[in-house]
Amino acid sequence: MRRGTILDELGKRILIFDGGMGTLLQEKGLGPGELPEVWNLERATDVISIHRSYIEAGSDIILTNTFGANALKFHDERHALEDVVKAAVHNVREAFLQAGKTGYVALDVGPTGKLLKPMGDLGFEEAYAAFREVMVYGEKAGVDLIHIETMSDTYEMKAAVLAAKENTDLPVFVTAVFDERKKLLTGADVLLVVSMLEGLRVDALGVNCGLGPIQMEPVLDELFAYSSLPVIVKPNAGLPKSKDGKTVYDISPAEFVDEMEKIVQKGALVVGGCCGTNPEHISLLARRVAGMEARMPQKKTQTVVSSYGKAVMFGERSQVIGERINPTGKKKLKAALKEHDIDYILKEAIMQEERGAHILDVNVGLPDIDEEKMMREVVEGVQSITSLPLQIDTVDKDAMELALRVYNGKAMVNSVSGKQESMDAVFPLIQKYGGVVVALLLDEDGIPDTVDGRIAIARRIIAEAAKYDIEKKDLVMDALAMTISSEPRGAVVTLETLRRLRDEVGVHTVLGVSNISFGLPMRPVINAAFYTMALYSGLSAGIINPASDDMMRAYDSYHALMNLDDNCGNYISKYGGMTMKTTMLPIGMAGSTAADGINGNMVASDTGSANAGTVRAGFDAEGHGHGRMTLRRLIEKGMKDEAGLAARELLAENEPLAIINEHLIPALDFVGKGFEAGTVFLPQLLMSAEAAKSAFQVLRESMENDAKSGEKKEKIVLATVKGDIHDIGKNIVKVLLENYNFEVVDLGKDVPPEKVVEAVKAQNVRLVGLSALMTTTVVSMEETIRLLRKEAPDCKVMVGGAVLNQDYADMIGADFYGKDAMQSVYYAQRLLQGTGTCAMPHDVRPIK
Amino acid sequence: MLTKLVVGEEKTMEHLEREAVRYLGYGKHAVDERTLALVAESFADLRKVAERKNVYRIFALSGDGEGARRVVIGNLGIESRNLSKNLRGCEEAALFGATLGVGVDRLITRASITDMAKAVVLQACAAAYLEEYCDFCQERIAEAMRLEGKYLRPRFSPGYGDFPLSCQEQIMRMLDCAKKIGLTMTDGCLMTPTKSVTAVIGISTIPTPCHRSGCESCQKTDCAYRRDTA
Repeated sequence: MRRGTILDELGKRILIFDGGMGTLLQEKGLGPGELPEVWNLERATDVISIHRSYIEAGSDIILTNTFGANALKFHDERHALEDVVKAAVHNVREAFLQAGKTGYVALDVGPTGKLLKPMGDLGFEEAYAAFREVMVYGEKAGVDLIHIETMSDTYEMKAAVLAAKENTDLPVFVTAVFDERKKLLTGADVLLVVSMLEGLRVDALGVNCGLGPIQMEPVLDELFAYSSLPVIVKPNAGLPKSKDGKTVYDISPAEFVDEMEKIVQKGALVVGGCCGTNPEHISLLARRVAGMEARMPQKKTQTVVSSYGKAVMFGERSQVIGERINPTGKKKLKAALKEHDIDYILKEAIMQEERGAHILDVNVGLPDIDEEKMMREVVEGVQSITSLPLQIDTVDKDAMELALRVYNGKAMVNSVSGKQESMDAVFPLIQKYGGVVVALLLDEDGIPDTVDGRIAIARRIIAEAAKYDIEKKDLVMDALAMTISSEPRGAVVTLETLRRLRDEVGVHTVLGVSNISFGLPMRPVINAAFYTMALYSGLSAGIINPASDDMMRAYDSYHALMNLDDNCGNYISKYGGMTMKTTMLPIGMAGSTAADGINGNMVASDTGSANAGTVRAGFDAEGHGHGRMTLRRLIEKGMKDEAGLAARELLAENEPLAIINEHLIPALDFVGKGFEAGTVFLPQLLMSAEAAKSAFQVLRESMENDAKSGEKKEKIVLATVKGDIHDIGKNIVKVLLENYNFEVVDLGKDVPPEKVVEAVKAQNVRLVGLSALMTTTVVSMEETIRLLRKEAPDCKVMVGGAVLNQDYADMIGADFYGKDAMQSVYYAQRLLQGTGTCAMPHDVRPIK
Repeated sequence: MLTKLVVGEEKTMEHLEREAVRYLGYGKHAVDERTLALVAESFADLRKVAERKNVYRIFALSGDGEGARRVVIGNLGIESRNLSKNLRGCEEAALFGATLGVGVDRLITRASITDMAKAVVLQACAAAYLEEYCDFCQERIAEAMRLEGKYLRPRFSPGYGDFPLSCQEQIMRMLDCAKKIGLTMTDGCLMTPTKSVTAVIGISTIPTPCHRSGCESCQKTDCAYRRDTA
């Protein structure tokens, strides 16, 4: 691999970047909104003279005038992107020539100006492709390095770095914009950005723009504390102020340089300026820092995993890794994966976060599913609803790589082992994408039954990882819990291994805690005790079920006991006001997914609180409940938790179908009609829908147990059309349709027409619902309908959305316009179930 | 850019709740307690996750005179009768952008998995919260302008009336929205984060004595969400 000489100089002397470009271009006449990159071709002399002024001021590295030169941002019909990049590089070279000096040409790569999915509409691969294009042009034109700058989104940063690393041999520098809260616009903090970029193996990292050198101090303190890589600092000229309609900065070039000197003393190796800085700043800076000592930063040892918005640092407090998204031994999750019920998985993620998990394990391995595809979908899905870092858990190397690629942040990876084959497969991925990898202490000879044997494997894994430039901080050892029902000394060996890994090897540890009790009765009892012992022996992160009260109590107690919970604050806030209930309650009371066997339930002593566990008893089929509400009434009132409990009560003496007919249907009918009449409003309608759903879930479990679930539901495809990212309307319709016993195939938002057609054909669907918010996206709706007519002429299409009306719907060829969500339900009922007429308002048109 | 803005929380809370309830379509009907509780909870959540940011820039304005259908802001020409009317008599215009940040979108996405009622209420509350923030920013801009003897017109956003949504790209570029406040748009000119606003605010040396602002000035008088008829 060719390496620019800049890497040889990095850390040997302070390197000087250039200063602001935009302001100088504006002074030369660049108008607001005009594309500065065009000037590389049309006003080359002006561009060269700006570069030259920086070179003469003492810049070692000059950025090409290509900040917005990517296909997503640069829309110009006259000039091809490649020509722009070529000219930009030439202009810098020419400036060096004219000045009679040598230096480095850095390809300036700014953000795309678009928000990436899932919150925006730009795909990760599209962003990658846009970066790749300009970087390939840049390398071809002869730049010395790539400088990715002004980044405010970790995902975009990752796409850019991968594009640079995979398509060029150039050194890669990256700087991001932090605000006064020490965060990026998308929420990432300094630790997170450093850990992700180090994982991606960039050559130098740092900050630019956003703040002046004074305001940057807190950001820089963290940067120097966490980064093992050379740090780049390019502040603005100060804080901007408006004076006589012009932007001025609150400090002078001299003050700027005073601050920069301090920053260099603290450890910055590459310095320059951003907005508002000019050749004067750079000239003073170059003179001031000339001869100042430069040395590479010390290697830091913190173990960090992160998402886009949260970094988790391993330390004295143990981390909870939620184990619920793993089909092993979980019937419902298996079914959800097979039925492609992503929502179920997302709910498991949210539940675990609410129960106190810090990291979520994601394992979707099942024999009959496309693991790569499913892994990607689940990783992206979970990252759209929680900021908890994920642990990618798979034995499929391709699925692992894809997950690591699309993951936003620095992932935890489960796992590698001491087997050579495993290390050969996994370590290159960690080297490329970064990550903290779980290392199982087993090898070709199996799991050693001695502590010495396991420690020896740990040391071998560390040595092998070093060959890939993977440091000990990015390895977390799994001490392996073996069930004591077949291995009498299993727990003893595991606990001692944990202790020695901590004290002798100096590495963090992880454990699948509940393995210890396989084959034993009352597993939570022994799991919790073992968990406490493991924590005391140094367990850095336990892979557990956060829905288990026993485990979370052990966790909370341990931290309180070990003085890791200030003034027992967390313990008191969580358990204050509760009393111990000594009776053992049946499963499911602590949330429908907490299938943990037996819970010694704790309940709030204040029965007035709306805790799920507090509304108890007193319902009967007729609803004569000693002044309590019937299930029907609870649904009408939209009381979700209570409705679930009431359904369970009723099941003791009633058939599920009878409960549906006597409670659920009348209640839904009541609120539906109320909504039509304008006496019930959308939030109430939806609260009732959620309550009915919660009751129905309980009933369905019972029906499944009785093997009476043979009923086939009619499928309806729902999608928010291509180009549209507003999916709330579609989601409302979905909840209601599900209430009325339809199976919704939810394709999500920004869905291309082809995908809708594909889903309709694959599942033989008779009705599609499309949603669009704006006139600009109704065009996609029309296109989707056109394609459906051609490819699936028997399928009906209903449409809805803010700008639509009956005329508009007719114009684009829809079969039905739903002015609100209930209308869509009634239409679906008439079309597919031959019912629903009773609640039909008069003004609904007949089906075409 | 205005920094460190704090909306006077107590004073505006009642107003915010009223606006949210209006967006939920209640009109003059009484709001049930459970919805009200959701509204209060939603505002508390929004306060935690919203990262409100704004940016504005003032440009010279030229138009084609009375009854014109085209205005030119800086070097951006806009064909719009409604906007021309709105800016009549102004010498300058501020381009304005504001956002609640991407965290609010994440919050709503998350709620739509677990509790759709909450998602809908959050959506309405976020809209109210954003409007409130825009009003606050506009008031600060107005204060700055008053010092120069200038007055503001009500803000007017692309997509309303005949002000084309397609102007969005150029407005965002002129404000450098992506870099300054993280406001971007999709290929279909929809703003991301979704809880965001761009607008044109006319600036004139002549105060307009009594102009109706926001909802009341809209010509769609049969709207179910209208403030004065609700």
